[in-house]
Amino acid sequence: MHTQFSVTQLADPKLAEADSIIRACVRHGFCPQTCPTYVLLGDENDSPRGRIDLIRAMLEQGGAPPAATVRHIDRCLSCLSCETTCAARVEFRHLADRARVHIEMHYRRPWRERGLRWLLASLLPHPGRLRLALAAARLGRPFARWLPGRLRGLVESVPPAYAGTACNTAESLAALPPQREVALLAGCVQQVLGAHINAATVRVLERHGCRVHVAADAVCCGALTLHMGREADALAAARSAIETWEALLAEHALTAIVVNTSGCGTLLKDYGRLFAHDPHWYPRAARIAGLVKDVSEVLADLPLTPRTDVPELPIAYHDACSLQHGQGLVAPPRALLRRLGFALREVPERHFCCGSAGTYNLLQPAIATRLGERKARHVAATSAVLFAAGNLGCLLQIGRYSALPGVHTVELADWATGGPLPPALAGLDLTAYPPRTAADSPGAAVPAADEINFWLYAPPTTASEHDPHGH
Amino acid sequence: MTRMATEPALEAFFAEVTAVLGDTAVNVTPETLQRYGENHLPTGDRRPAGVVYPGSTAEVQRIVAAANTHHVVLYPISTGQNQGLGLRSPVHAGQVVIDLGRRMNRVLELDERLAYAVIEPGVTYQQLYDELGLRGHRLMLDTTSGPPAGGVLGNTLDGGAGYTPYFDHFYMACGMEVVLGDGQVLRTGDGALPDSRAWHVSKYSMGPRLDGLFVQSNLGIVTRMGVWLMPRPPAIRGFFFAFPEDHDLAEIIDLCRPLKLANVVPTLFKVTNDIYALGTECSSPEYAATGGAAALSDGTRRQLRERYGCGAWLVSGAFYGASDAALAPFIERVKAHFLQSGRATYIDHETADANPMLRIHLDSFRGVPTAAELKLLGWRPGGGLIWFLPGTPMVGEIANAHQALARSIYAAHGLEYICEYVCGARFARGLHVVVYNREDEDETARADACYRELTRAFAAAGYSVGRAATGYQALHLGTLDPTYTSVVRALKATLDPAGVIAAGRYG
Repeated sequence: MHTQFSVTQLADPKLAEADSIIRACVRHGFCPQTCPTYVLLGDENDSPRGRIDLIRAMLEQGGAPPAATVRHIDRCLSCLSCETTCAARVEFRHLADRARVHIEMHYRRPWRERGLRWLLASLLPHPGRLRLALAAARLGRPFARWLPGRLRGLVESVPPAYAGTACNTAESLAALPPQREVALLAGCVQQVLGAHINAATVRVLERHGCRVHVAADAVCCGALTLHMGREADALAAARSAIETWEALLAEHALTAIVVNTSGCGTLLKDYGRLFAHDPHWYPRAARIAGLVKDVSEVLADLPLTPRTDVPELPIAYHDACSLQHGQGLVAPPRALLRRLGFALREVPERHFCCGSAGTYNLLQPAIATRLGERKARHVAATSAVLFAAGNLGCLLQIGRYSALPGVHTVELADWATGGPLPPALAGLDLTAYPPRTAADSPGAAVPAADEINFWLYAPPTTASEHDPHGH
Repeated sequence: MTRMATEPALEAFFAEVTAVLGDTAVNVTPETLQRYGENHLPTGDRRPAGVVYPGSTAEVQRIVAAANTHHVVLYPISTGQNQGLGLRSPVHAGQVVIDLGRRMNRVLELDERLAYAVIEPGVTYQQLYDELGLRGHRLMLDTTSGPPAGGVLGNTLDGGAGYTPYFDHFYMACGMEVVLGDGQVLRTGDGALPDSRAWHVSKYSMGPRLDGLFVQSNLGIVTRMGVWLMPRPPAIRGFFFAFPEDHDLAEIIDLCRPLKLANVVPTLFKVTNDIYALGTECSSPEYAATGGAAALSDGTRRQLRERYGCGAWLVSGAFYGASDAALAPFIERVKAHFLQSGRATYIDHETADANPMLRIHLDSFRGVPTAAELKLLGWRPGGGLIWFLPGTPMVGEIANAHQALARSIYAAHGLEYICEYVCGARFARGLHVVVYNREDEDETARADACYRELTRAFAAAGYSVGRAATGYQALHLGTLDPTYTSVVRALKATLDPAGVIAAGRYG
């Protein structure tokens, strides 16, 4: 795509970066059909190509963008489905972030929107404040119907509280002697709403020979604020996290910084790029980024010891966008769940976002609701008894529209290797799903179908019937 | 025919469609028209006059009726993912695009016992794959190497094909519902019998087989089609052979032919040249230095093929069976066959599955939609792309002659020869890709000249194409015998007397 930035504009490395991303778009035309908002709304300006065009015009012109431009960019989920389908390898994530920063700097939103964004940016990255706010919201839920629209939505969307163990006091069950040291990002929203997930992560890692360090000061990675255009806040959070892990690295031979919130993991792996124009911070950020691994990647390298009594539950695995598009991790979580003895069900439209997308479901509730309902329908169609995902936001979002319980992949890994039953599964009748027998456990020889039988009517017992990819 | 509707006629047409179908069924916003007009071809974008979105066959009829009333030419698309062949843009600017896929995208029926689906035009490969997945993947569909968002019906109607035993998409389609240019609805095959119970399973119906009239034609708008599906076997095992030199193509073709004639190998063979294979993983390393003026040097090409292990030609295929163990003897038999000359290097299934470049081909044989092959389009910057699709008899000597002819034309225009032969028993489809920088005027002109020269040279040698981009329809029609084109015109005059459907598309 042609651009017309001035020489002066291109002297700004951030605009120069945006320029190169825009010019990389050659209008192949793959992205619109994989873009959730284009598919839902049918508006060319709500497709990646349309948005690139709008961002180009906005950045070239400088100053306050038109309200319509802001509306179309706000509607973008940053799900990155466009990136994985793009043959020209356009780095849309960085362009979208640049656009959001520009809007935040130059556009004055209506006061209600400003208030909501301020509220979210002030609460979500700060676990203490968030706990207080959630407690207030839970108290206020019976009165939610009298609250104004957006606020009512916020209160109603507050999830139930699970009694989760604090992640740094996790009990180690049958732990192997520590053979490697890792750090865990406790997260900001995660440690409030997903403490049980963090606890499960620590348990399963310690059980398999990891000493887990949870640094109290590495709270927020900066993703939430970055995707709201608050670059300064995001950079401050990132610097703080980097310093904390550097201090840990000075004392321990960390082999990985483990992340169980894939939205955070996507940005953490991209820290080098975030500080690309800062010669002081770039090498430090890149060093940290190089250590970041999603928990499914870490578990893939560990000698897991599944217990023998785990029921072969049919599980609908939902790909969080930040895992599948942001980090390209499609196979590892599936391989993990299969290795543990679960029966995986693929969710149709797996490339599609569920509508969570960080703060998106709070800022764009109408579209998020449609996407959430659509995803929940697809999950239900799998006939699974629960759904799993590698990201808390997806679990909460789909959980709002699905009757099935949702659990984090790592909770299942913990449970299947000796940990407690994930709290969301407390009401599930597990007796209906006997454990996988030794004969059909992973690694056993696949029984040959009758050579003269018709494949169509062969019972679906082999992996290949469920997984044409052969993963 | 390049008739353009007048502005008042278009206004009246859109007003009528809006009145009948509602506001949301018509789109004439500038950004929509601009982007629907975009394509990858050197012949330029073709901006439509508007886009309409029907939701049913009855609504298509209403649109066709309005087009007849107001003398407007329609251009139907299913999902508009005809990459390198025109995308959503019409043959001529000013035609009105009927985007069938936007609202007509349902799987109407899926019969697992008789293994077929009935679909609307907007059903994509990914969608049908997902639908089959919900039912345990007991059936598989034949996919293309095009985008997962591509339409199953649209691919069939444009003469597309895949790689599995169900590769012939037209043959595996059964029973169509078609809105003709005069607004009548035709049901082909057994569908002509009111309340037929065998519409989508019988190919042996009363009277001429009319379905073929609507493949690569502008004689009607297909709104429903039956698609046959294949029972998914418990085991699918692929095999690969890398051959070191360009001229090995002749030997490869001669090795593939007997295996297909005897149907020893159930899939088609994919015979993929080096750049076609490794271009999914990297871009031309010399482009920046040459500014795209010259094709990749042979020295660098050799280095790349060594780095990626694909050889000059990569042969792939697969077996289907009850178990891996049951297929092992077949793999051994094919290995012995291909390794007999000592030129091939064998790559096994597991190695290929762990290699993204090779997994693309396995996914084709497994009926799994993938967008990975299309990364090839980034071989050169600028997003230009044309497919040149001639047929080649399965004779090694002829294939090598075709290779030499095409290579010389690509090289003369400073472009890389990029080709995959998809081989059946008697015939191979030569998927030639012209990847070029559409933002470079000189390179665009060279790509255009290259394509035209390929067309002329192959036609002069006696070989036509199996499919053509919208920008080159007239060029290819001009190579055909006048009797053929006059018969097509006569059919058009009968079925679409006012010429309201896709004027210029394959006739």
